[in-house]
Amino acid sequence: MSSNTSRREFLSNGLSAGLALPVLGATSAMALEPQSAKPAAPAKLDYRILGRTGLKVTTVGMGCMITSDPSVITRAADMGVNYFDTARGYQQGNNERMVAAALGARRKQVIISTKSHAPNKEELHKHLETSLRELNTDYIDIWYLHGKGSPDEIADDLIEVQQKAKQQGKIRFTGVSTHSGQQNLLPWMAKKGVFDVVLTGYNFTMGDDMDKAIETAAHAGLGVVAMKVMAGGTRRMKPDDPAYKKLTQEGAMLAALKWVIKKPNIATTIPSITDMDQLDENLKAMAVPFSAGDEKILSAHLESIRPLYCRMCGECDGACQKGLPVADMLRFLTYADGYGQFALGRERFLELSAEHKAVRCGDCAECTVKCPHGVHVQNRMARAQELFA
Amino acid sequence: MKKIAGLLLTVLLAVGMARAQVSIDCHLAPGWEAAGPVRQYSAENLYDYKDGAADGYLSYGFARMSTIDCKSGGDTLTIDLSEMNDADAAYGLFTANRDAKLPIAPIGMGGQIQPQSAIFAKGKYYVEIAEVAATPEADHSALMQAFAAGIAQRLPGRESAPEALQWFPNENLDSIRLIPESVLGLRLLKRGYVAKYKQGQAFVVLESAPESAAEVMKKLRERFDGSTPAQIGDEAFQAKAQYLDGICVFRKGRFLAGYANLPDAQQAATLAAKLAARIP
Repeated sequence: MSSNTSRREFLSNGLSAGLALPVLGATSAMALEPQSAKPAAPAKLDYRILGRTGLKVTTVGMGCMITSDPSVITRAADMGVNYFDTARGYQQGNNERMVAAALGARRKQVIISTKSHAPNKEELHKHLETSLRELNTDYIDIWYLHGKGSPDEIADDLIEVQQKAKQQGKIRFTGVSTHSGQQNLLPWMAKKGVFDVVLTGYNFTMGDDMDKAIETAAHAGLGVVAMKVMAGGTRRMKPDDPAYKKLTQEGAMLAALKWVIKKPNIATTIPSITDMDQLDENLKAMAVPFSAGDEKILSAHLESIRPLYCRMCGECDGACQKGLPVADMLRFLTYADGYGQFALGRERFLELSAEHKAVRCGDCAECTVKCPHGVHVQNRMARAQELFA
Repeated sequence: MKKIAGLLLTVLLAVGMARAQVSIDCHLAPGWEAAGPVRQYSAENLYDYKDGAADGYLSYGFARMSTIDCKSGGDTLTIDLSEMNDADAAYGLFTANRDAKLPIAPIGMGGQIQPQSAIFAKGKYYVEIAEVAATPEADHSALMQAFAAGIAQRLPGRESAPEALQWFPNENLDSIRLIPESVLGLRLLKRGYVAKYKQGQAFVVLESAPESAAEVMKKLRERFDGSTPAQIGDEAFQAKAQYLDGICVFRKGRFLAGYANLPDAQQAATLAAKLAARIP
């Protein structure tokens, strides 16, 4: 699979060729013994340039949000990982303190990003000063406006605070982090020209529209950092969730990480790393390229969600006897069920006409829409109506 | 049959009342009104609200959250009421979020009041109150205290901290946290308390049974090259490691405990012996 393969192609390839291939078991066969009690050996590292910042970053960085002990962060730095992410709001500031304690002596060798969700310029300024103090540093490498879902949420005065901080040398580069609305936000950021980096949720379950938004951002010079690379992981899933078993099988998380870092528009990733074992596992993503075995693991996961996931092929256009825009409504459901963005899904649903919003698919004796990819359309549409209406 | 139906009704009413008790509103201080409806979040959509910080809640054992925005003049505040799986999880989340430099206030199992924020845990509930004041430097500690106390009064459940906290010696103690997974950064040590001291850290990991604790101990020892046995509890070893420095781990029944990050292994063993004596 070339790195330019679209998610739609990957899905169709994976569901056919992937299932026919034997499990290569490359990842498990190459598993390293955890080295927590031994000196850290330098890992095989892979670097990219983070857009216009010019920073040379390892393609696997470290999300420190749920790291259990500072020694894990220190060891990651010793092994050559050079991008570390935290936020003002994580654990009421304790996470920034942990990052500072872990990286103190190595500050100049690493890139530290933090974020603020402050709603106004006064709070934002206050957060910056607090972050500098808690991180025990004179400068923050990348300072993100935290969790923005649309251009409307990024007021000019917030941008002014970022720009002033940059002029004063308190931050080196500006950024925005986003979990939703990337299709609008990233092109807007690309045009705005005042941001250096975007931190966005991105993983193998996402569609071509996300790839296009990222491509637009990257071509405009924005450095793109990916988070939620494990598709949200398994923490929020119940053990009886069909995806739980797939994502907890050996090599699944690593395959998901490798899928992201093979994308040329992604400069680095920040998977949350809890412990030494996970650090060792994630670093393998830089040493061993995405393989047919990884493809099989991910396609097996996608197979498990096949009845749920619309491929936006358009085959169902006009097929609903009630005139519902089936593909659109399934996409809204994917925002909620697939990406964890309930608010966005509901917002889009409520934009439908009153006539369409009033339809209840459960009332139809038989559904006239037959998905060629096996999506259980009537069930999924009924769920969308139950969830959003 | 009538008795069973009556009993069932009583149970349902009790459950309903328990739910009603945990409702939140803004009328806890004069002049404060709701700025919108109460919003509800589950593990499935907590990311919508908390972004990446959601993982922190989920790792401790999160069930659901109710949140409300309140307004008074130019000041706004947000109350997040998290229901956790149990009281230990609620206290654990509190320990993760508390500022170790500030004292613990006597609210529920423990709380902290700051000029524009407050946090506390009571029973299986963890509460965060965050204000955005019109005057950023304003000290609204009294207001935060009023809101925290008012909410705590409505919440059912335990008001004493977990027993395990008493096992850690107080001398030179900085803070104690519940680590929800991978104590000391080691996946083998699943969940436990870590006490930070002026020098080094102590830990107590709670396994479900002595047999599983013994199994973990065996695997743990294999990870530390050059470890030597120590005479503490049911079994113990001490070692020197790059990131954990001088370390001593012992097993006492179903507990795995010890000291790490001390200058040498012998010092860790000496302190571990004292800790073992405090664990029942």
